[in-house]
Amino acid sequence: MSAGRLWPERLRFDLAATLVLCAALAIVPIFVQSPYTLGIILVSVYFAIIALAWNLLAGYAGQFSLAPAAFAMLGAYTTALLDHYWHVPLVVGIPAAIVSTALLGWVLGKLVLNLSGPYLALTTLAFAEIARVVIGNSYEFTRGDQGMHVATLTQSRVGYYYIFLVTLLAVIALLYVLLRGRLGRFMMAIRDDPVGASSRGIDVVRTKSIAFCVSCALCGLAGSLYGTFSQLVSPELGLLQQTGLVLSMVVIGGMSTLTGSLLGALLVYLSSEWLRGFGNVQIIVFALLVILFARYLPGGLWGLVAGRLRPAAKR
Amino acid sequence: MSLLSIEKLSVHFGGVAAVDDVSFDVREGEVCGLIGPNGSGKTTVLNLLSGYLAPRAGRVRMQGDDITGLAPDRLARRGVLRMFQMTRVFARMSAFDNLVTAGLARGVGEAESDRRAKALIDELTLGPVQFLDAGQLSGGQRKLLEFGMCFIEPPIVAMLDEPFAAVHPVMRDVMASFIRARHAQGATFLLVSHDMPIVVDLCQRAVCMNAGKVIAAGDIHAVLQDHDVIEAYLGESPDVGAAASLELGDPGRNAS
Repeated sequence: MSAGRLWPERLRFDLAATLVLCAALAIVPIFVQSPYTLGIILVSVYFAIIALAWNLLAGYAGQFSLAPAAFAMLGAYTTALLDHYWHVPLVVGIPAAIVSTALLGWVLGKLVLNLSGPYLALTTLAFAEIARVVIGNSYEFTRGDQGMHVATLTQSRVGYYYIFLVTLLAVIALLYVLLRGRLGRFMMAIRDDPVGASSRGIDVVRTKSIAFCVSCALCGLAGSLYGTFSQLVSPELGLLQQTGLVLSMVVIGGMSTLTGSLLGALLVYLSSEWLRGFGNVQIIVFALLVILFARYLPGGLWGLVAGRLRPAAKR
Repeated sequence: MSLLSIEKLSVHFGGVAAVDDVSFDVREGEVCGLIGPNGSGKTTVLNLLSGYLAPRAGRVRMQGDDITGLAPDRLARRGVLRMFQMTRVFARMSAFDNLVTAGLARGVGEAESDRRAKALIDELTLGPVQFLDAGQLSGGQRKLLEFGMCFIEPPIVAMLDEPFAAVHPVMRDVMASFIRARHAQGATFLLVSHDMPIVVDLCQRAVCMNAGKVIAAGDIHAVLQDHDVIEAYLGESPDVGAAASLELGDPGRNAS
């Protein structure tokens, strides 16, 4: 499906498609009056940011981390703890979440640098679970499973909706710039063949570290914002189930494309809300879909659509 | 003048000396053959020279600098490039993007990488497949693509591991003329190959290994007529006709 076009053209096409989706999201509040429904779409945008971040690591750099939700949780707790203990304002607390998760991501990246495939996945999984359990059990410091109250940026739900949307746009712009430059090509080279990449002169260690750092920081940003929106931060943010949801979003939407992650996040989250009406079957449905997509449609839904939309190869 | 000096290089795998006290030179501007029977340690030497293995003992010097044990990516950025016997291309990027990526990795700017990639695509006859993902290319096309990736920025030394093995004759010719053209421009090659006619055709000098040791080195014709080399390839009790067949695949032609 991706045959016949050069990387800058592929990426530009991908960017254009994400901007169309963002434009559609921007006019949603005109038609959706219900705060409940708007809240659901807002949460799907939260997941879209995490899905884009995870896709950077897994889809472009080929590093299958199982810690995206944990980093969202760590970002949320950074802001919450700063607010709770030191009354640090959110304009500082939210950027602090980006910094702390970037640092932690860099450290995690260093730890797993020589690991690949299942070992990488298992190590990040262990990290994620340890982080969640430690936060859940540190009752004196974090109030454990009860969660912590956080300040909010605004009481307006529409306001928050646009804060999330602008953040999403900023994340897409950042990813576009990173992917368009040498870093994007180096990550894909490492994904396709790490030994080959190093033989061509690519610093595999440095490239992977940057990918981990950026991906984790974006998850941290999403988590931090989400905490201020819900005004409650709890270890539930870091549940493995949340990571599973992110993973299914990217696989169903389409790995290794920006649009696939965004589309997948919107479709999967909205349908998971809809599926709630049928009992707790979402996980079963998405797990099945992930298996089917991985087997029969590795390009995901967006791969299917893009194959038809994109003009035929020329030159 | 010696470009690459390999001095007493050794590496062991579980008690087996895969490369044992190997020394030889690669001179500037030559095509140096590295030959020897299967399992003689040729690829291991390439792995040592390209940074994928750390030697247990010995030194590698390039233009006088000690480059022993440098990481593969650092060596590549310094101009020590290699091709693999099993090609290593970036399967989900187009052939053209593979070349541009290789250029960027060597520190060439994007516009310039683009320009050079176009020229290499023409030279390597990859035009019809340049926009296909590299994973869709044939084995021979991938090898041509690897040539291009090594030469997007002229290497100081290019090390080729069996580039002609299992490749269509037409592409072998493209590769051979690519090597000749770059050699004429002054490029230095270390060529590992089993294909004696091509080795004789392209190389001025050769180093022959057997069981991890260098058994002969020097002028290509002299090496191929060396008693130990013939014995290593053909076993015991060689005769003069066998020596000729080792060199040209044509017994009698060189018999004297």
